[in-house]
Amino acid sequence: MLLLAALLAAAGGGGRREVSMQYNPGWNNSSVNLLHVRAVGQNDTLHYVWSSIGAPAALLVATGSQSSTLHVNWTRLLSPAPAGAIWIEPPGSVVYSTAVVFTKVFEYSKADTPEELFYPAYDLSSFSWDSINRTLNHTALTAEFLGVPASDPSGSFSNGSLAFRVTAYEANGRDGPLPSLLHTANSSKVEFVLAGVAPRGNGSRFALEVATVEEPGVARRLRSARSIDDEYTPTIFETLSLAAEARNASAALSFLQWKATAYGSRSPKREDGIRCRAHGLQAANWTLPASGVIRAYFGEGLGSAYAVSAINISFGGEDGEVYQEKRYLSWSALLGFGQPPEDTFSPLVISIMAVALGTPMALLLVGSVVVLFAQRKCYSEYEPIN
Amino acid sequence: MAEEERALLGPGGGGGPGGGGDPGGSVSPPGGPRGLAAACDPRRLPHRLLVLALMCFLGFGSYFCYDNPAALQTQVQADMKVNTARFMALYAWYSWPNVVLCFFGGFLIDRVFGIRLGTIIFSIFVCVGQVIFALGALFNAFWLMEAGRFVFGIGGESLAVAQNTYAVSWFKGKELNLVFGLQLSMARIGSTVNMNIMGWIYSRVQDLLGRTGHSTLGLTLMIGGITCLFSLACALILAYLDKRAEKLLCKEQGKTGEVIKLTDVKDFSLSLWLIFVICVCYYAAVFPFIGLGKVFFIEKFKFSSQEASAINSIVYIISAPMSPVFGLLVDKVGKNIIWVLCAVITTLASHIMLAFTFWNPWVAMCLLGVAYSLLACALWPMVAFVVPEHQLGTAYGFMQSIQNLGLAIIAIAAGMILDTRGYLFLEVFFSACICLSLIAVVMLYFVNHLTGGDLNWSAKKREKLQKVAATEAEEQERLRRQNEDDLAKLRPKADDFSLRNRYLSKLGAQLPDNYSSYLSTMAHRSMLK
Repeated sequence: MLLLAALLAAAGGGGRREVSMQYNPGWNNSSVNLLHVRAVGQNDTLHYVWSSIGAPAALLVATGSQSSTLHVNWTRLLSPAPAGAIWIEPPGSVVYSTAVVFTKVFEYSKADTPEELFYPAYDLSSFSWDSINRTLNHTALTAEFLGVPASDPSGSFSNGSLAFRVTAYEANGRDGPLPSLLHTANSSKVEFVLAGVAPRGNGSRFALEVATVEEPGVARRLRSARSIDDEYTPTIFETLSLAAEARNASAALSFLQWKATAYGSRSPKREDGIRCRAHGLQAANWTLPASGVIRAYFGEGLGSAYAVSAINISFGGEDGEVYQEKRYLSWSALLGFGQPPEDTFSPLVISIMAVALGTPMALLLVGSVVVLFAQRKCYSEYEPIN
Repeated sequence: MAEEERALLGPGGGGGPGGGGDPGGSVSPPGGPRGLAAACDPRRLPHRLLVLALMCFLGFGSYFCYDNPAALQTQVQADMKVNTARFMALYAWYSWPNVVLCFFGGFLIDRVFGIRLGTIIFSIFVCVGQVIFALGALFNAFWLMEAGRFVFGIGGESLAVAQNTYAVSWFKGKELNLVFGLQLSMARIGSTVNMNIMGWIYSRVQDLLGRTGHSTLGLTLMIGGITCLFSLACALILAYLDKRAEKLLCKEQGKTGEVIKLTDVKDFSLSLWLIFVICVCYYAAVFPFIGLGKVFFIEKFKFSSQEASAINSIVYIISAPMSPVFGLLVDKVGKNIIWVLCAVITTLASHIMLAFTFWNPWVAMCLLGVAYSLLACALWPMVAFVVPEHQLGTAYGFMQSIQNLGLAIIAIAAGMILDTRGYLFLEVFFSACICLSLIAVVMLYFVNHLTGGDLNWSAKKREKLQKVAATEAEEQERLRRQNEDDLAKLRPKADDFSLRNRYLSKLGAQLPDNYSSYLSTMAHRSMLK
């Protein structure tokens, strides 16, 4: 585990990674989606494996070698028992691995009832996903997983879809559009988008269930940080992160980080903000995520040796009707290795404060000098008569 | 020229130079009616108290409705689907007409409408403005709401001038301070009640209609408009009582006595310009902040809606009792620049606290409330020290004008900054405004020091020098009177111009210098809002 920190620190120093994307490596068929993002640093390689085989999921593997490679046994992966179908070569180079699975979308209503009314949840593992081959952009390093339920009895998805947009990063930086998350070269962004999906009731709100898989000795913890700095995400002061921490250390090994807001518009602005909250992170070893790549990589130990925990992230406040009007919801989160990045004051803010506070001080100084000088001059006019 | 203006104003000019010399004043009129009940006799205390109550409630409606947007910010933005910049335009639209109107308010009251008709007309403007504002919400037309605020602004500020003129005409003399104080407190109460009650009314209307939306907002604002109708009723009754008093006591209609000459602007001293800068930058960092405050406390400090309303109105609540206290303090001690400096630094500290810490915002807001009251008491009288008396009307009019201009621009800028850069940057922006104000205060201190101005004299020194000046003036006056008497002997048919001039100068010389300027300051205290 310490090795990971050392590796990432080295990579953070360089700050840049060579990122390449590969669609369905070693399989010439676009009926399923598997996206391999390989980010090579100075002396390490980060592997992100995004896939919609089963529930949409991201497998994150950090390796201590520049030449580590991902291998997929496709026939086994697509079989009912995929254990061992995905592995890293050489196996000894793997430093740390974790996974994030988006399992379900809940829809519930608070309108006119004291308790929440839950509609049947959308199980993301039973969605049918478009091929990401068309949306794959090798220069911008983005791809989009677009899905609709395989069977849609309520017709909610007749004009709508659910999507996960993935962005990989080569270097440190910050996104342009809101929520303008700060990212490092050790992270990628996933954006959950619900567009045009008809709500099944008045005042419907949505929640996304996110499950994580951790190695033995590592546990996820929900961190909530309130910062005074809302310059990049106006009026949002809270940053949440689901950090993986080793039992004996508090430094994060990996993280899923997001601002406490979603947006109800394709071009998000402050007023489109939808309140976002996280509910009760808990162990969820009894329901194993139905994701092909996760089962394939972690194998039989999933749920026993590899701990699964889950959290619900809900969108919409007390009187959140933003979705009803716009029928659009987008929530962005950063997932990556190491410590989650933290916002700092922008140079603009610092320089404004410096000038604003410095000028009166300088003026006070100059003024005092001038006054003293003037007084001395005043006295010197009275020349001794003799 | 100054002499001529004095003469033209006539002895009825309450707030103007030579005020206090109303020959037909409320004391022992010839042939006053007998046998009237105490409450009906304009000379008796109960009747005057009734008039006082009416005067106080005259402004209640406009102060109540001025901050309606701030009290309902979340609702306005959600129901009308506007961003913060457009929301803040509601405040800007209130200020725009006053950039021009504050030069004419006094003129309109004195020369065109008269105080009674003027007050009624301005009250009607306020009512109509609020109704248009509410209709805009009912019809879901934001531009109509903006138009409503514009009309409301035309009435609101001028109504405040009219209110003060009434006060001067009825309570000239010892009671005036108290009356102004009460009116000011009433204004604060109006703002405070608004802050704390509009959200509640909205939720009641929401229960009634069963939904939120623009019609709920419209109905809520209509209900808020009732206070304006109430104020209009006060204006009507007051006009009747004033007319009646005029008949019974041969009392003249009150006048602002304001003389505005825009060409005076070129004669303004550097000190005055610095005072303008202090004023614009300071108020720009207070009023737009309060306009946006409620949601700020909800979003940054996780306050409940009621709690946010309460803390947002604390500035007004504090300034109600503190203004008279600080007024007295500054009067007794003098050293105005030091007080202004303290107020500005305290405000800066409170903005920095709000920007960079999560400390309990009650501390920062209470500091802001105290600083704000102190500044009002120390800053406004300074104008009277740096401007000759005959230019005072122009100076205050100009100050009010650029203050409104500043408020309008900063309000929109603040909304835009909030939408794109968030609260931290907004607070940094407000802090920068306060720093600009601080720079102006420091410069004012040195300019005053180097030019040997009297802004920072202690009250004792000021009094002593005034006494010297007064005896000097008396001596001069005696010589002149003698001279005039000689002249009059030579020319027995004196025209009434010189007669009035003599009368006035006689009065003027006996009044302490700051007396009339103080009245003028108070007549313009609508700016202190």
